Amino acid sequence: MQFAAGCEAVELVLSDIVCQPGELLTHVHFPVDGFISLLAQEADHSSLLEVGMVGREGMLGVHEILGVARAPMRALVQGAGLSMRMATADFRAEIGRNAALRAILLRYVHVCMQQLASSAVCMRFHDLHPRLARWLLMTQDRARTDRFRVTQEFLSTMLGVRRVGVTAAAMALQEQGLIAYHRGDMQVLDRAGLEAAACSCYANDRRAYRAQLAPGRLRRPD
Amino acid sequence: MTPRKYTPDDSAFGSDGNRLLALLSEEDAARWRLHLEQVDLELGQVLSESGSPPAYVYFPTNAIVSLLYTTAEGECSEIAVVGCDGLVGISVFMGGNATPSQAVVQSAGQAWRLSARAVREERASSPAVLRVMLGYVQAMLAQVAQTAACNRYHSIDQLLCRRLLLGLDRSRSDSLVMTQELAASLLGVRREGVTGAALKLQQAGVIRYSRGHISVLDRSELLARTLSAPSRTAACRRGPAARVALAA
Repeated sequence: MQFAAGCEAVELVLSDIVCQPGELLTHVHFPVDGFISLLAQEADHSSLLEVGMVGREGMLGVHEILGVARAPMRALVQGAGLSMRMATADFRAEIGRNAALRAILLRYVHVCMQQLASSAVCMRFHDLHPRLARWLLMTQDRARTDRFRVTQEFLSTMLGVRRVGVTAAAMALQEQGLIAYHRGDMQVLDRAGLEAAACSCYANDRRAYRAQLAPGRLRRPD
Repeated sequence: MTPRKYTPDDSAFGSDGNRLLALLSEEDAARWRLHLEQVDLELGQVLSESGSPPAYVYFPTNAIVSLLYTTAEGECSEIAVVGCDGLVGISVFMGGNATPSQAVVQSAGQAWRLSARAVREERASSPAVLRVMLGYVQAMLAQVAQTAACNRYHSIDQLLCRRLLLGLDRSRSDSLVMTQELAASLLGVRREGVTGAALKLQQAGVIRYSRGHISVLDRSELLARTLSAPSRTAACRRGPAARVALAA
């Protein structure tokens, strides 16, 4: 069976929760122009933190690649749009019989591990200002547009900081002429400037991804 | 360290060995014995460098290994802890790629190891082995995600309590050897912060801390302090062990 034939197109709806920690995922997703935030959650539900983002570069359901049944994190639709999804049982069967596909997906797991590692250290050391710049770049990459909706409330949850902090950081980026932000309408004006303002984690994530999953590398899995 | 071959008297696959090895079937274990060698790991020994493919995969029995990540700006902290519950070198199970982190022995002891090449051969020959090891990769992902959240939200006091528990869960005694210097560098905080947090724990009778030796006197209180108000939960000390059991 062609892999794509086993997928169906669905519309990701903004703010939908695709799955909760501990739940069984009914479908794995390969977003096309929608994208999904992965949130680590404290068991008392008090604090959430975004630790990953999945868009057209990736896949939701990494635990299924690893043969684990239950989702470890909350998956929240952050950008509405198209996604190709496959029933989890079909996906398991597919990677069971297609070693080349599994090899590629394991490379993606490797990239996720690398990005998580850098995020963990980023949380410890990096200031909000460069973290916000990184987040905006990551979002822009996946939204495939330089303009998107995002409230300060949402930003404060994703970045794990108080809202006043987000306000100040966004204002600073705006004063530098990098973004225009008004009533939840975010526009990236100067992408190169934003890249310079971001912490090294953004460039690092891109490098990690290219090193494992650039088209040239995929022709020779190990 | 002089590697020593596996002998019939060894029990790497038993309950006092490594928990991942213990999950292998009798048949898989029989093949793995041919590759395994035992090594003594010394404090501070670097098992693999970030950016290069690991030559060996290590399965600690009583050694404890820190995975450290360094940013391009040069800041460094620990992202995960591996002991008898896990393995060092997960990237080998994902395609033999370079590891993002540096693996440093943080508590001396023993481990079983096998070469990355042997792992690649084994990986192809047994889906059951791969399932166990990939289950651990998921547990590791969960641990690192939790580290990220803890780094964002928790006080130094809580970070230290979590870190001591992560170490204790992987050690076979009630004490740890960890200088304040080391604890500070693992947590990515200043040494004075660790000193203050350790002092509080000592005054409350939770630990005894002397010249780098930490004896835990009241483990449940240590746990309570990772949970303490504002209520942060058991999730942050949940090591890989529980999740692997679930996955395997």
